[in-house]
Amino acid sequence: MLEIDNLHVRIADGGAEILTGITLTVPKGEVHAIMGPNGSGKSTLAYVLAGRDDYEVTSGDIRWNGESLLDLEPDARAAKGVFLAFQYPMEIPGVATMTFLRASVNAVRKKRGIKELTTPEFLKFVRAKAAELGVKDEMLKRPLNVGFSGGEKKRMEILQMSMLEPQLCVLDETDSGLDIDAIRIVSEGANKLRSPDRAMLVITHYQRLLTYIQPDKVHVLAGGRIQKTGGKELALELEKTGYAEFKPRAA
Amino acid sequence: MTVTLIKTKTEQGLLADFERDHAALPGTGWVERLRRDAIESFGAQGLPHRRIEAWKYTDLRERLTDVSAAPVASQSTIDRAAVDKALGPLASLQAHRIVLIDGRWAADLCDAKKLAKGVRVQSLAAALVAAPDWLHAKLTPDRASSADAIAALNLAFMSDGVLIEIDADAAPKKPILLVNLRSTDNGGLVATRNIVRVGAGASLTLIEAHAARDGGPAQPHANVVTDVEIGDRAAVVHIQVVANAPTTTHLAHWRAMIGTEASYRAFQLTAGVKLARNELTIAFSGPDAKLDISGAFLGSGNDHIDTTLVVDHSTTGCVARELFKGVLEDRARGVFQGKVIVQPEAQKTDGKQMAQVLMLSEDAEFDSKPELEIYADDVVCGHGSTAAEIDPAMVFYLRSRGIPLAQARAMLTESFIAEAIEKIEDEAVREALMAIAVAWLRRSSPTKD
Repeated sequence: MLEIDNLHVRIADGGAEILTGITLTVPKGEVHAIMGPNGSGKSTLAYVLAGRDDYEVTSGDIRWNGESLLDLEPDARAAKGVFLAFQYPMEIPGVATMTFLRASVNAVRKKRGIKELTTPEFLKFVRAKAAELGVKDEMLKRPLNVGFSGGEKKRMEILQMSMLEPQLCVLDETDSGLDIDAIRIVSEGANKLRSPDRAMLVITHYQRLLTYIQPDKVHVLAGGRIQKTGGKELALELEKTGYAEFKPRAA
Repeated sequence: MTVTLIKTKTEQGLLADFERDHAALPGTGWVERLRRDAIESFGAQGLPHRRIEAWKYTDLRERLTDVSAAPVASQSTIDRAAVDKALGPLASLQAHRIVLIDGRWAADLCDAKKLAKGVRVQSLAAALVAAPDWLHAKLTPDRASSADAIAALNLAFMSDGVLIEIDADAAPKKPILLVNLRSTDNGGLVATRNIVRVGAGASLTLIEAHAARDGGPAQPHANVVTDVEIGDRAAVVHIQVVANAPTTTHLAHWRAMIGTEASYRAFQLTAGVKLARNELTIAFSGPDAKLDISGAFLGSGNDHIDTTLVVDHSTTGCVARELFKGVLEDRARGVFQGKVIVQPEAQKTDGKQMAQVLMLSEDAEFDSKPELEIYADDVVCGHGSTAAEIDPAMVFYLRSRGIPLAQARAMLTESFIAEAIEKIEDEAVREALMAIAVAWLRRSSPTKD
């Protein structure tokens, strides 16, 4: 279970406050959507969950399975099962996708106390997962995300997610920049990961992704805090009314 | 106005050493006269210092405080196993091996008998004794080298080197691996001169490895000049590796003349050297040639690594690519000077130059001086230079996938350098150089957690 408790976050080194008291609980087995206007703090929340140090938590807590994540480094969080699918996956020239995937999978396995995969075991594993998501062999040979289309990058994120077998999946604007076909492929990949012992937080600006990944709950994040919570019908409502009724900043 | 510089200890010492040693150096007659003229030229010029533009960042008057000529070595006790150990990953390379110990041909360590057809390799010392006329012409300094005190020092003290001649259309399959190793404990200057002549349509891969030995001399100082003459349509790959030599000062100067439609691919890996100055002077004797000069320099501590290029385009249609990548830790200093001249007649020249450095410490320094002098109007030339830290966004991305900090930084640093090393087309050579670079990068930054 993910518990976010009155979380206040500002940009590191005394910058502006972005999150002004978020409280949110996502039980295992559920998918929650976070919707909100631009600049509401959605991506900040995603980064803070993953442990990016450009942000500073000034008060509140994030607990995963009862344990605070705040003192854990990003790689330790990944080992605990936290996975962030990036809105803008980094292009890393010179690092072959295969090399990266193997380093990642084995680093996580090592920290979880599972035997690391040998080269043949890894190749079998990656090929099976890649085939499921329609990731071509040729993509795996290229430097990580370099020259990938928007859809390919997002598919690569979902491939990593399925290989690392996380328990808390945070999808940050996974639909941005994708056409309908790409959204469907990526959503199918994410849906395959729905399971009773996995929690998922889907961050999106538009309702459209949520027709493919149907959430149990929808939260509206605006002005740095959750201003409304409802069922999946809330997303459809927002599609009609927009975010106008929500205050951009807490008074 | 006449200014008389007070000679430094090193300058005075080298002049005295020449008087002591010159009779023991190979060659008589014109060879001896060239040496005498050269030492006089050195005496008049002294060591290059910061007020000479090309040496602005690498002041040898200041840095070579205590260098003398290496004494003529006694019989070396180095065997093949010791050479292999010093070569590291290069030892297993399928290559025709030539070994110079303390700047002298070590016949018992060379593979001299198994040469391919059309390939001749001999000791420069032997050639200096035979003293053919063409060699006289070759060694007589031109205007540029007359004004070069380090070239003069090389000419005065050259003890040996390799003379490689490839006949027209000959194509030896194996690279020639020229190993330079030191045996004595007292270091000092060893001057080596290599001459390479590649006939029309022929090909050659030459690797110059400067290896250090555990327990080797305290302050070795190398002065290497390699002249490469590339015939029309010939293809030469030329590689230098200077690695793991924390007390070595290394001055190398490659001078290449590239023929019509010929290709010259040069690569230099410098990893962990107290002071290195790698100079490349490139000229073209015919049109439509292809030039690729690249390299990687890795420094830590107080290492100082200087790469200075002069590419002089004087004929049409030549393509030139220059890519150097550096990693600087601690107080290490990198210098890159890249001068490209495009003469009025060198139309259709296509040149690109790039120098990129990863700064792993706030105290590291990178001095970059690209210079384009373009006198032709129908050319495409560009240059760039960057000095940056490891991108924290990339580090975060890798860490968010479970990869620990040290390993993430190592992956990014190694991939940065790999982009330069990938310029080497031969897979075995490329992998050997990558292994040397990776071993150096990992030596002080443990990636295990």
